[in-house]
Amino acid sequence: MSLAQYGFQKLVLLNSAGYSRAELPLDDSVSIIAPNNTGKTSLINALQFLLILNKQHMDFGAHSVENSKRFYFPDNSAYILLEVLLPSGMAVIGCVGKGLSHDYEYFAYQGSLDLDDYRLADGKLVAQPKLIARLFECGKLAKIYPQADLRALLYGNRQKQRADEPDLTIFPLEFTSQAATYQRILTRTLRLDKLDSREVKYYLLEIFKNDLQDRNVDFKSEWDKSFADVNYDKSQYDAVFRNQSLISGMEDSQQTRLLLRGKLILWRPLIEKGLNDWEDYNTSTSEELRLRLQTLEEEAVALEKRHEMIYQDRADAKTALKAQQKIESHYQELIIQFQFVSDLAQLQNQRQLLQKQRDELMRSIVNAEQQQSQEAIARNIAKINKEKVDLNRQLQNVNNNLYLQLQKILPAESFELVTRLLSKSVLSLPVALGSAVELDDETAFHSFAALLASRLSANRLQLPGLLLDLSELEPNLFIKTAQELETEINDCERQLTELNSLLKTVETLTQQKQHQQKLEQQISELLVDEKNYEELLALKVGALERLQTIEALQQKLVLLEQEESVLAEQKKSILLAQEKHKSDQKELQSQFQRINIARQQRLDQQFPFTALEQLPHLPCMESTELAMPTLADRIETYNRDCQKLKQIDEQLNDHLSQLHRDGVSKFQTQDTAEQQLNALFNYTAQLSQEKEAIERKARSAVVQVAAILRDLRDSLETFKRRMREFNNKINRRQLSDLKVFKIEPREEDILVRAIQALISTSEQVESGRSFDLFDQNTMLDDKDLNKAKDILIKEGEARGGLRVEHLFRLVFSIAKENQTPAEFEDIDSAASNGTVLMAKLITGLAMLNQMQDSRKAIKTACYLDEAASLDQRNQRNLIEIAEEFGFTLIFASPEPQITARYCVPIATTKGKNHISRLSWQILENLSDTDK
Amino acid sequence: MTIDFTALTQLQPLFKQLSSGAHLNRLKDTELWVQLELYQSDYESLFAALGFVLIVDGRGFAYFKTELASAYTGKLTRRLALVIMLLFEYQADQGLHLFQFQQWRLDANLLDQLWQQYFALFEAEEINSPKTLAEILDSATRVGFLISEDNAYRLLPSIHRYLDLFVELGNAERPDQIKEDIKEDML
Ligand SMILES: Nc1ncnc2c1ncn2[C@@H]1O[C@H](COP(=O)(O)OP(=O)(O)OP(=O)(O)O)[C@@H](O)[C@H]1O
Ligand SMILES: [Mg+2]
Repeated sequence: MSLAQYGFQKLVLLNSAGYSRAELPLDDSVSIIAPNNTGKTSLINALQFLLILNKQHMDFGAHSVENSKRFYFPDNSAYILLEVLLPSGMAVIGCVGKGLSHDYEYFAYQGSLDLDDYRLADGKLVAQPKLIARLFECGKLAKIYPQADLRALLYGNRQKQRADEPDLTIFPLEFTSQAATYQRILTRTLRLDKLDSREVKYYLLEIFKNDLQDRNVDFKSEWDKSFADVNYDKSQYDAVFRNQSLISGMEDSQQTRLLLRGKLILWRPLIEKGLNDWEDYNTSTSEELRLRLQTLEEEAVALEKRHEMIYQDRADAKTALKAQQKIESHYQELIIQFQFVSDLAQLQNQRQLLQKQRDELMRSIVNAEQQQSQEAIARNIAKINKEKVDLNRQLQNVNNNLYLQLQKILPAESFELVTRLLSKSVLSLPVALGSAVELDDETAFHSFAALLASRLSANRLQLPGLLLDLSELEPNLFIKTAQELETEINDCERQLTELNSLLKTVETLTQQKQHQQKLEQQISELLVDEKNYEELLALKVGALERLQTIEALQQKLVLLEQEESVLAEQKKSILLAQEKHKSDQKELQSQFQRINIARQQRLDQQFPFTALEQLPHLPCMESTELAMPTLADRIETYNRDCQKLKQIDEQLNDHLSQLHRDGVSKFQTQDTAEQQLNALFNYTAQLSQEKEAIERKARSAVVQVAAILRDLRDSLETFKRRMREFNNKINRRQLSDLKVFKIEPREEDILVRAIQALISTSEQVESGRSFDLFDQNTMLDDKDLNKAKDILIKEGEARGGLRVEHLFRLVFSIAKENQTPAEFEDIDSAASNGTVLMAKLITGLAMLNQMQDSRKAIKTACYLDEAASLDQRNQRNLIEIAEEFGFTLIFASPEPQITARYCVPIATTKGKNHISRLSWQILENLSDTDK
Repeated sequence: MTIDFTALTQLQPLFKQLSSGAHLNRLKDTELWVQLELYQSDYESLFAALGFVLIVDGRGFAYFKTELASAYTGKLTRRLALVIMLLFEYQADQGLHLFQFQQWRLDANLLDQLWQQYFALFEAEEINSPKTLAEILDSATRVGFLISEDNAYRLLPSIHRYLDLFVELGNAERPDQIKEDIKEDML
């Protein structure tokens, strides 16, 4: 009972909650006894004003706080008083109504609770305004405390108190910082609210807070921090690995660049000198070529002239030769023509003979030519012949012609007319049977003549449709006589003889003339022959000389041809020489132009070519000689090399920035791009070592992260240990009929395993055990590890950090005898009412006890309304457990609970409740009394 | 009681998932789960007002308790129950602790063996090949009983519902009798 020395002694109500006065012992378990609706609950609820303090947390069941204030503090002389024995001595904490609006205030003082201090001589209670003075009179140094200050006072928060204040700590906590939690649990425990595992978890975490390294782990940032380097290195490694082929190409380029630089360094001065010498070389060479060409031109002209002369000579010789040959062939012809002529005289004689014949013929011809023409004579002969025939016919018909007949039968007038109409020959025609004219009917002819005459008038003949003027016609009135006719016929015959002989003469003349002409022709031919013969004679004289001339000419021609062919050869070779020189000239000019252009295109006047010696390079070992004719080629090659170097520079820069863009940034700290490249190449060459280095870093990063996780895991272990202790604490005595009643942490398996995975990886790394294993299976690619990491990151992000509380949940594990434990999250559903009531109370008290400073234990009180729901065994257990946790239990029930030490009935007089010390009944075990 | 709607940031996705009949799992739906932890009572009363009973199981899953099951979910539930039960039996035979089911890796190999061992029972439920088995697990994945990763399935905490049932029905001898009971009790 030594523990019970310190703690609550009694509760006193004065003029409050329907009590005129109530004195309740609190130094041991109490059973308040009264019928329903008397004031049991009211009495124990009064403790709330002193223990819970905060109005908001107080709970008066159906009654509101406002009504309760009215109920507990009806006026300014209503009191709730608590006497406590503290290590510093007895103390009183009180709450007094202020009257106005049923408010109240707290006060406290050291000293024991003497009810007379509150009662005046007249039996009335001291009013609130006079209370402090009154207590002072009674020797009690009381003080008014605002609610917050009182709380600080009760929970021993010395910081909030003045040094001269008395120590009135009722709830000595191990950590005053837990006061708020303590109070909340206390409130809950007094009210026996619904209690679920989450709340218990929350409180226990608060309670064990100081044992746990309860930091909020921002896992992602921890991971990122530890792996920042590793990730960077890995990203560099990956980027380089990705670009290996590009980099090896760059390495080749760099090699080429070093070679090119060496080459350019070697050639630069040589090119410089070559360009200086070039002007002289160009001038002298081109002058030389010009002179040579000039000479060749002159030679060519001379040859041309000579050629023309030969040409002329040949033409002349040919003409001459032709002429001589013509003469010769003519001479040969003449020889053949006159081969049968002995001399000229022969020809002349022949000719003179012919001339004589011709002259005779000429004379006969002249005679004949004086006569008529042959044709005219022939015409005259024909005419005269006809005349002779006509005359003969007239002679035959002279006695019986038409004229005579007509003269006989026709009147004169008609006769004359008809003769005019008919021609003489018609009139001369004989009239006879079977002759030309037949006159067979004279009368008919008479009448016709008469008719005809009738148509005649004054020389005009009028026929139907025809008018004929007869005056113009001569009448054929005359008919010759036979004699006349015979004479005329003789004349005709004579004329005809003459004319025929003449005709004969004229005819022979033509023949003679033809003969003459023949002669003339023969004569002229002979004359020509004579002339030709003379020519032959003349030609015969120069025949020999002529043949010699011909031969000479032919020889000359042969010589000329030979000379000509030699000349052609010479001309050809000169032409060749000219062409060659000209092409040399052209070549020189083109070199001149090329060099000019190349000179302008030179790049080596600017950086980097001006400082190649300072840049890294490989010395060039080529043997060098610069001949002027190769200068153009050389300088062009040189320019090309410069160009190439420039391109490589650009290309390498491009590739380098391409690598930068692709994330290769490791080497950018180097001073120059070239050093950057070298570093890059070295790095690439050592890729596998780099990978190992990254792996090593990754391992140490895991170790780093694991250290933080280890805190979490250790906290979890600590918590679990604390929970085991806690469970031991609440299981010291059996709770109801429960074989098992535990509050157990259940780990969040996946999270804990993830943490464990990281930690054990780290442990393996630290012990170096699985070094070989890692070499094959790199840790950065470790699937399980990454998954563990992802789980923790996800969880951490969703909850804004990882804490130990995220690693487990609590369950109530409950089992009766012969049952396997069942787990519950909500204890209200776990068992029967009484059992649940008990479980809650014990859990609450155990938690409160956990927070108390066991060195300064002060017994306080808790209450169980409607205590009858617990059987006696449980009541007894409960009282003992509460006792162990430092609490006195107050039961309230209509019937006395004999498990309690005190039984306190409530008396009622004149409607006022009343409990006096004197009515306390103390129950003691016989065994106790024995002691 | 007043509900602070601005705090219930995940109301929509939560309701969508739960009302579709799917289970919410602590580790798969971490964000939603944390919301539920923080505002459990708010969500409970809100959903209750809408006619849904939200069950949040501290072992890491949540769902809407429903009275009626559609023919489809009924069939799926029945088949899944069978598969899960046989799986547990099989794993127990392998000496594995049933409550560590979240760590099991259900790969094609395991499914094959499972089917070979129980094909008579499976075929009675018209599960005619390991492929059908996988299809059932796929469907169960969609309602939040499993997760599919790395060419394998893993059981999620919501499988506790089945496990609880099996424990409860632990006395029943014949698996198909259990099956019948499951059908009645589950949904
Ligand atoms: N906080 C309060 N504010 C106002 N009136 C109250 C308050 N607490 C109790 N009362 C009143 O005091 C009277 C006694 O009630 P109380 O609950 O104390 O009775 P009881 O003895 O506990 O009865 P029971 O055995 O039925 O629990 C009742 O009339 C009640 O209305
Ligand atoms: Mg009561």
